[in-house]
Amino acid sequence: MCKGKTKSQFVAVASIAAELNAVMDVAKEISLAAANAKAIAFRAGEKAKGFQPITDFINELAKETIELVTDVNEHAIELYQLTVNNYRTTNVYTQLKLVENLSQDAVFISSIEQPLLKAQIKMDKCKRDFKMNITQLLDQLAEVMHPARAARVIAANSRIEASQAGEYLQSLQAVAESVDNAAQIIHDNVQRCRSALSVVEQTD
Amino acid sequence: MKMTNIYEGSYQWIMFGRDENKPDNIIDTNQYMVRTAKRSLLIDPGGVELFSPMLAAVLHYAPADQITDLFASHQDPDIISSLGLWDQALPKAKLHASDLWEGFIKHFGCESIEYVPINDNGGTINLDEVELQIIPAHYMHSSANFNIYDPQAKILMSGDVGAALEEPDSPIFVENFDLHIEKMRFFHQRWMPSNHAKKVWIDRVRELDIDILAPQHGRMFKGDDVNRFLDWFETLQVGTAV
Repeated sequence: MCKGKTKSQFVAVASIAAELNAVMDVAKEISLAAANAKAIAFRAGEKAKGFQPITDFINELAKETIELVTDVNEHAIELYQLTVNNYRTTNVYTQLKLVENLSQDAVFISSIEQPLLKAQIKMDKCKRDFKMNITQLLDQLAEVMHPARAARVIAANSRIEASQAGEYLQSLQAVAESVDNAAQIIHDNVQRCRSALSVVEQTD
Repeated sequence: MKMTNIYEGSYQWIMFGRDENKPDNIIDTNQYMVRTAKRSLLIDPGGVELFSPMLAAVLHYAPADQITDLFASHQDPDIISSLGLWDQALPKAKLHASDLWEGFIKHFGCESIEYVPINDNGGTINLDEVELQIIPAHYMHSSANFNIYDPQAKILMSGDVGAALEEPDSPIFVENFDLHIEKMRFFHQRWMPSNHAKKVWIDRVRELDIDILAPQHGRMFKGDDVNRFLDWFETLQVGTAV
């Protein structure tokens, strides 16, 4: 593994962690927006009757996103550790190969065979774990996209319901707007995570 | 990597250094090995950049599974940042280093190597029939610092004490002490923090019977140059940056 590749792996994994952090913040904002919408819908009474169940949906979606992102985050931490291990085991193997080349005329050169073999086994296992983790992480990120897509549909419905809420129209439309924006941000961030992961996958 | 036998008895002392392939931007270091029938001790095995040439050189003297002990005089990267690689290369080895630095040195990677903590009073390392003394050299320059003394070979591995900054292809022994002084002055004045610690160290070392004083950088001192060095060092004011 060359230094440039290692660097881009570390950067990519760090950027995934940053994007996930942002997703978490946005999901919490949606949750807040849901609570806010619920209060408005309660005050609006009959005029916002159709809006009330939507607020519960929004809240559920936010909760689901938070749970999914928490899981993904754990996986991302694991990926970081695997990136470190991958770097370390590859480095050990590379250095021992170098020793093998440098010590061709050494009396005890054969004693390096065992450590070299052990290093290779460790490195190969690490690479396999690393690839598996990336695949799992990509699947998990695809799951995070689902509530984000659903939130956009709900936002569209919210706008329709808000239009019938009389003097509460503006407040409820603002809620629908913020849910829509948040869903879009989550979608974009998760997409960036997936792109970053593709970089990691290709550089390995 | 140059390899030089500096003691040949029923066991050997070998000095490794002057690596011509060493990157220019890192300080040149001396590594030492004590080789007995079935065991080997690497003293200050060096930085991570030096691991491959060092192990390749060591394999001329011992198989990897007979490198049983490592010693780190203190925690600096040029002393022991290669630990993470030795850790994976040696099937069974111990690292002897200060108990004070344990949590720090382990940052270099220490999964399979057993860390043997040395308390402030020093101790011994036994290699087959050879007993090496761990001599306290605190604040010389590191706050928890040790030297290795071999009473049979009469060699004191003095860590950074006696070190000099000079060209990587310089001779391995001091040939003209007076000319050598200027290569050591700044190093000792700037890296050694305490005149009191210096005096304690000199008093302790004067009690030892030393043929070779072997520092981690620069040339070794032998014969009368050992006392010349101690006399010069005794008059030198250190800790000059404040």
